[in-house]
Amino acid sequence: MDAIKEFFNFFADPRVFFLLTTGAFVFAVWRRDLFVKPSVGYGLQIFLVLFFGLGLLDENFRLIIGKPDNVPIVGLIFLLLFFTWYSMRQAVLNDQRIANAEPVAEKVEEDRVWVWPDLVYIELICLVLCSVVLIVWSIVLKAPLEQPANAAATPNPSKAPWYFLGLQEMLVYFDPWLAGVVLPSLIIVGLMAIPYIDTNPKGNGYYTFKERKAEITIFLFGFVVLWSSLIVLGTFLRGPNWNFFGPFEYWDIHKLEALTNVNLSEYIWLRGLGVGMPSHWLFRELPGILLVSFYVFGLPVVFARTVFKRYYEKLGPARFYVTAFLFLSMLSLPVKMLARWLFNLKYVVAIGELFFNI
Amino acid sequence: MADKKAVGHAYNIDFLNVIFAASSILLFISTLWMVWDDYDREWKNYQRRFVQLETEVTRVALEAANAEVDPAVLEQLEADRATAEAALVGQEEQLTALEAQEAAVAIELTVASQIHQFAKADYDVDKYTLEIDREGAEEGAFAEREAEVAAQYDEWLTLGLEAERLTAERDGLRGQISEIRQGVTDLDDEIRGLTSETTRLEELLADLAPSLIDDYLLNAPLIDFMAPSITVRQVILPNILDDLNFIRVPKMDRCMTCHLAIDREGYEAYPQPFATHPNLDTYVSSGSPHPLETTGCTVCHEGMPQSISFRDAAHTPVSLDQEHEWVEAYGWEEPHLWDYPMLPSGMAEASCAKCHLEEVHVPEAGVLNLAYGLYERAGCYTCHKTAGFEELREPGPSLRRIGAKLTPEWVAGWIRDPRAIKQTTWMPRVWYGSNTSTPEDARRNEAEIDAAVAYLFAASTDFEFAVRSPRRGDAAEGQRLVESVGCLACHVAGDEGRLEAGPRRTFGQALQNIGSKTTYEWVFDWVRDPQHYSESTYMPDLRLTDDEAADVATYLMSLTGGTPRVAEATYDQAYADEVLLDYLKAIVPTAEAEATVAALSAEERTVELGERVIGRYGCFSCHDIPGFEETQPIGTELSEEGTKLITQLDFAHVEIPHTKIDWFENKLLDPGIYDENRVLQPLEKLRMPDYGFSEEETHLLVTAIMSFQREVQPTAALVPGSARQDALRVGRTLTRRRNCVACHEIENDGGDYVTLVDDPSLAPPLLTPQGAKVKPDWNYAFFKDPISIRPWLDVRMPTFDLEDEQWNELLGYFAAVSEAIGPFRAHTVASARGDFMATGEELFDLLRCQQCHVLDTIPEDQPTENLAPDLRMTPERLQADWVIDWIRIPQTIQPGTRMPAFWPNYPETFYQQFDQDAEQQIRSIRDHMLTFSGGPRPEEPVVQVGDQP
Repeated sequence: MDAIKEFFNFFADPRVFFLLTTGAFVFAVWRRDLFVKPSVGYGLQIFLVLFFGLGLLDENFRLIIGKPDNVPIVGLIFLLLFFTWYSMRQAVLNDQRIANAEPVAEKVEEDRVWVWPDLVYIELICLVLCSVVLIVWSIVLKAPLEQPANAAATPNPSKAPWYFLGLQEMLVYFDPWLAGVVLPSLIIVGLMAIPYIDTNPKGNGYYTFKERKAEITIFLFGFVVLWSSLIVLGTFLRGPNWNFFGPFEYWDIHKLEALTNVNLSEYIWLRGLGVGMPSHWLFRELPGILLVSFYVFGLPVVFARTVFKRYYEKLGPARFYVTAFLFLSMLSLPVKMLARWLFNLKYVVAIGELFFNI
Repeated sequence: MADKKAVGHAYNIDFLNVIFAASSILLFISTLWMVWDDYDREWKNYQRRFVQLETEVTRVALEAANAEVDPAVLEQLEADRATAEAALVGQEEQLTALEAQEAAVAIELTVASQIHQFAKADYDVDKYTLEIDREGAEEGAFAEREAEVAAQYDEWLTLGLEAERLTAERDGLRGQISEIRQGVTDLDDEIRGLTSETTRLEELLADLAPSLIDDYLLNAPLIDFMAPSITVRQVILPNILDDLNFIRVPKMDRCMTCHLAIDREGYEAYPQPFATHPNLDTYVSSGSPHPLETTGCTVCHEGMPQSISFRDAAHTPVSLDQEHEWVEAYGWEEPHLWDYPMLPSGMAEASCAKCHLEEVHVPEAGVLNLAYGLYERAGCYTCHKTAGFEELREPGPSLRRIGAKLTPEWVAGWIRDPRAIKQTTWMPRVWYGSNTSTPEDARRNEAEIDAAVAYLFAASTDFEFAVRSPRRGDAAEGQRLVESVGCLACHVAGDEGRLEAGPRRTFGQALQNIGSKTTYEWVFDWVRDPQHYSESTYMPDLRLTDDEAADVATYLMSLTGGTPRVAEATYDQAYADEVLLDYLKAIVPTAEAEATVAALSAEERTVELGERVIGRYGCFSCHDIPGFEETQPIGTELSEEGTKLITQLDFAHVEIPHTKIDWFENKLLDPGIYDENRVLQPLEKLRMPDYGFSEEETHLLVTAIMSFQREVQPTAALVPGSARQDALRVGRTLTRRRNCVACHEIENDGGDYVTLVDDPSLAPPLLTPQGAKVKPDWNYAFFKDPISIRPWLDVRMPTFDLEDEQWNELLGYFAAVSEAIGPFRAHTVASARGDFMATGEELFDLLRCQQCHVLDTIPEDQPTENLAPDLRMTPERLQADWVIDWIRIPQTIQPGTRMPAFWPNYPETFYQQFDQDAEQQIRSIRDHMLTFSGGPRPEEPVVQVGDQP
């Protein structure tokens, strides 16, 4: 039993967890024909039920899963997986029909139905069932209240509301101005820009994957892997001192993690060249600044000329560069994560003098 | 038109019908569940159950009240009433007519009063409108309306006259009726007076009985939101605040929602939550100093005030067993909604200190006072700075002249484990704790012990005994002296435990095995004059003669024994050098440390290590050690420890319940406990020494710690400040800190010495009446030069080396306790003339005062218990008005005194032969006593000046 718990604890390490989610995501998209099989879909749900059901036998697991504010996140895991699987399945089935020159499933369906009973009746049923759920929920789960707030003694861990836990996870890798201000703004701006960037008319009113490969993949990566799975990680796996804890691990406030990280400039000047740190910050951080500038300004141009030449021609320069910028901003998180895990990289650009770090 | 398809169905409607039916049933069930969940809340159930209890208790009370009423008397009264009623027979017609008339007038009066009220309302409205309208207008512009308002006023007055007339008429009629019925109404009143209690209880029972409206309508599920009789009960306390970190708000206590009988007598035997408060005289009841309406509950008991569920109120179990019981019965869990969970039962007195700020002795708070006594005795305050304990001297003896008193071998054995030698000592064990007991630790322990001892003896200064080679005395006589002159008030010589002896009898060092500890010369020198060896000692001078001192010292030297703990490792100089290096490396670079060690001789290295060791373990906090005069104490400040948040305590890897109290208790029981299972370098280890506290001592000390609170309560909640209050506080502190209360009782506390004498009359005197009784200047002289007031006593008042400031504090305290007038009063002088005085003298002889009281000579043929002080001291010593009080009511002033009350039926008197009432007789005796002179008197305190060169 303990070996199994250890096994899951190992997979819940943020490094393993993130790589695993990414891997699973890549597999689900790449071998979607396998992924959308009912046996896989139901198998995943049954696996989750077993995992949570058996997991509840463990006291530590029960404590963290059973916390009234965490219960909805358990629901989120089931629903997220189900809807991802379901939409992918619909898309794959439609893709097959398109390949066979059949009309898509949505076209075959009834076009017009009665408002009563088909619409209003199910709305009423939903209302009744939601009321039942809310009433039972409020009786069974206690309100997640805490002691009076105290500026001198903040809770440990101090967690953001669940929907911001993805952002809070980003704070591990980026400074607050970037993780808390720039990136969230870009997410909103990016979402608003989608209708202007994505001019592909396919997929309107029906599920499809083949006709919108890039769009769906990028969206799912951003939403499922970078946003939702980090919420799950932040809810269940981050404990006191924002240390990582496996799902069956006791949240020991004394747990220590060796976190000695090094800046890029130190790598270059001290370890690489062995010449000592330049005294002026501009010179000192020049390599980092150049690298970031290349990532933001150079890389899109390279992409336009090489791998994504076709897209460049299709979208035109304005759309392409905006898209590339947003895409690279999104990717900056996994890039920074990898750099941290592989090289203990603290900052690419570290200008403490100006409180400006990337 | 494009191809318009037919309208179809997206769902199977029959199936939807089934779903709808099922979900509706679910909704219905969940709604019922919701209503039931609200109806079934624990506090509502408690209130329902309490109705039954109250009925039970009221029924018992009713039976008792019924038994009080004499049925014969009641029967007689009722018979009389029937007779009186019968006597009215002839006047029936007249009565009926009068009653009808009265009813008619009453109706008229009601109508007239209403019209009168309407007229007033109209007048008020018009007057107001007129006032507003004519604002700023020309004079006379509203003349018409002004006249109207004036007319309305007149009308109102007229209507008032009418109402008054009708009232008078009705009252007249009523008077006539009652006059006729007089005989019956009088009897009615008498019957009502007799049965008032039973009627009240019967009415209460009727209220409590199940009723359709209360139980089945107002308190019914779902409609019990309108006007239920089952309600949340609360007190709001504007003068007591809750600190919510960002704001302080008036407390709102809802405890009485479940603790329904907390302020009512009669429920003592019932289980919680229905029990009566165990101490209604001091708390909760409206006549006590802490009434529920202004003090509430949680300011003392802590816990979450507004909560009405067992769990959320943050109840704290006293034991693990109780915890399991509560988990089972109430779903108890560790409180997380409130930073300050309830204090466990028996610890609530810790909260006294919230309002009784920095009081060492809080009257009535026995547990807290004992806790403070232990806290002081254990010397916690020396390492842990604590507000209110700053002015105290070190609890351990001065080690400045240790060379003259002890040998290094004995000291090493002693500090290895003090309680192995003296079971009652407060000296803790610094080494061989739970975190320093491995063989490796033992080597280091021995190196450190050896070095610390070496430092103490190297730093010791020379000391000359006052008498060289004093002669030996008689041990038996010495024992008699020790057991009778008062030594045992502060010292333990037997094998009593610390708590058993209590903080007052462990005020001085335990005398166990003292003969194996030091030399005869030293003991002789010490008992002869303690200050000769140590200027700062609290030990007073018992004025022993050299012979007595020799006897006492000889006896004390016969108290031998005690086996010191054996060293668990042999001392090793090379290893000791390593230890020294370890100490030095912690503060200077390694190379420098090595150079320092290399530059010292072997002996110097040991002494150097000793200094480091003493500095690390904080020995200097309890003992005066040369070289550490300015060193800061090593412990955490505890002044606000009671309000510390649990998150600030490190539970390390120890599996104990996560509460503050558990943390403190475990720390005290085993100071090294939080090092358990940790990988630590020697200098990283916890260093609090082990006192070997018992569970009970631990509980008391935690009570003391929990009482050290951040100041939150506003001035209005505190004990009101006054000069008298200040005098009481200062005096209570002084009398406890100097252990006066070990011998003397004052304010119903102390006087424990009485248990050491054969008869209470042979104990040191009660000091409660002292401020009213003894003249302050005489008392002051007595402090400076204690004389024997009752020469037949063995116990002696010692000479204390206090400053005049402290003597004045003490006299101020006596005055405050007695609420006496200040120190300056005219002397009452008796003139020895006249009949009055003659009566006094005769009475003095008649009552045979001299049979017990000394008047120059001690009365013979009297057991010592009956003897009383020399009355010749009266004019100089006693306050004249107190003497009168004393003669009148000696038992009230000093319960248990053998002084008889000669006027038990005061103001009547037995001694009719004198032409005086009791008061005059008492006065004349007093006046006679004021003519005495020549009694013993203390030396006039003087300071000699003018003889300097």
